[in-house]
Amino acid sequence: MTLDSDSSKSALHDRESKDVVIEVKDLVVRFGDRTILDGINFKVHKGDTMIIMGGSGCGKSTLLRQLIGSTVPDSGEIRLYGFDITRMSEKELDPLRKRFGMLFQSGALLQSLTIGENISLPLLENSKVDPAIVDLIVKMKLELVGLTGFENLKPAEISGGMKKRVALARALALDPDLLFSDEPTAGLDPVMTAVVDKLTCDLTRKLGMTAVVVTHDMTSAFRIGTYMIMLGSGPHQGKIIAEGTPEEIKKNPDPMLRQFINGEADGPIPLKLSQDDYFKHLLGSG
Amino acid sequence: MNAYFRLNVEILFWLIIGPFQRQGPKVAEVFRQIVRIGVEGLPMSAMTALTVGLTLAMQASRKLTELGAGMYVPDMVSVSMMRELGPLMTSIIIIGRSGSAVTAELGTMRVSEEIEALRVMAIKPVKFLVVPRFIAMMIMGPLLTVFSNYFGLVGGWIVWKLIQGKGTAIYITRSLESATAGDLYSGLFKSAVFAWLVVTISCHVGLNVKGGAEGVGRATTRSVVLALVAVFISNATLTYLFF
Repeated sequence: MTLDSDSSKSALHDRESKDVVIEVKDLVVRFGDRTILDGINFKVHKGDTMIIMGGSGCGKSTLLRQLIGSTVPDSGEIRLYGFDITRMSEKELDPLRKRFGMLFQSGALLQSLTIGENISLPLLENSKVDPAIVDLIVKMKLELVGLTGFENLKPAEISGGMKKRVALARALALDPDLLFSDEPTAGLDPVMTAVVDKLTCDLTRKLGMTAVVVTHDMTSAFRIGTYMIMLGSGPHQGKIIAEGTPEEIKKNPDPMLRQFINGEADGPIPLKLSQDDYFKHLLGSG
Repeated sequence: MNAYFRLNVEILFWLIIGPFQRQGPKVAEVFRQIVRIGVEGLPMSAMTALTVGLTLAMQASRKLTELGAGMYVPDMVSVSMMRELGPLMTSIIIIGRSGSAVTAELGTMRVSEEIEALRVMAIKPVKFLVVPRFIAMMIMGPLLTVFSNYFGLVGGWIVWKLIQGKGTAIYITRSLESATAGDLYSGLFKSAVFAWLVVTISCHVGLNVKGGAEGVGRATTRSVVLALVAVFISNATLTYLFF
């Protein structure tokens, strides 16, 4: 047995000995006739940085929306801190939602509020922190994402990458013990990507926060991930085609996974999402 | 329809129960909406009411003079503005100016995931977005109607004084004598009902927008049409009940 496989097994053992924060069982989501997620099973343990990856349209963001309780699946269970959120009402979900932060792909900042007001919103609405302290926390969170002094600007006055950083500061406002991120580094320059990755690593490895990250950015994924799952597309649509620690994923010979990680144009991942035959479509059904 | 009634119930819940749970509306946001919905809408409402008063007095003075009842022009302007035209014209202005803006704003927030972000932060969109707009509309609808009544009477006076050359004192006396407090209050009650319908329809349609920019455009048109129909039907119903 090699040293590598020993350390990989040891990492897996360490991971599984920790508390389960999220448990997904037989999750199925359909949009009309299309099956988006088909029998998804995985666990996220405390302190994990779980990476969800896969090609465009494979259901990554749909899976994330299920995990935060935004939509209800067709079948299956999602246990968050032991509670099955698929059977919970909005009112029952709220206490759980106060325990996690969510970074949306678009940032989803409230355009009518300033950056400072956006970050202070969860603090003022969901905590009993004194308003004077809230101002201090806003400044600290902005410093964390490198945007000190931007609190009085409106979201429309800053760039897309800066909006993403403000959204991250807002997601971290209540110091959540679980962070969901949808493409956290999309639109960021390489230096800022490294800063956000380092921040995620610091929060998870030093402070014990758990993170679930949907990303296409393989450099970032291998830098921050402690466990990875890849969703398939085409004939494997909605299924997990590979999972494991970053070391296991790097060694996995699955051709779809290799093509995705290496960013190759040729391979088994279907480029066409259309289910119609091209020539039939071109010439018409008649 | 069920979702519309649920929205009304939720608004009432946050208005009545919210303050006891330390979750009352933010005063600053209510004032911001009062300025946007009411104060900024005042010039448009005033101008519309002024022209309506002018037109009404011009039409009435010719016919009433032919019938030998020219002295009744102030009576007609006063009663018409307070009972019908003040509340109705103000509501139409509010629908076109503020109702459409509310739908477009909430619709854009919906398609840009801002409303989903609020839900995920355990912040109720109805409490945070709808209730301040509701309070602002319920205050400013009747208040704008009072201003409209006043500007309508000014419009009538312009015709009475400047075109017909009659006295201001008699215009004021006849206007005040002809309209009763009941006329004023029934008009204000109507304007409150219209404000309720306009803000709830605008918010309901805005919160349920589907699709992108096209969806927001379609929703805004739909909200204006629905609010107009609701106001016209309720106006006819209330007029039947009151008079």
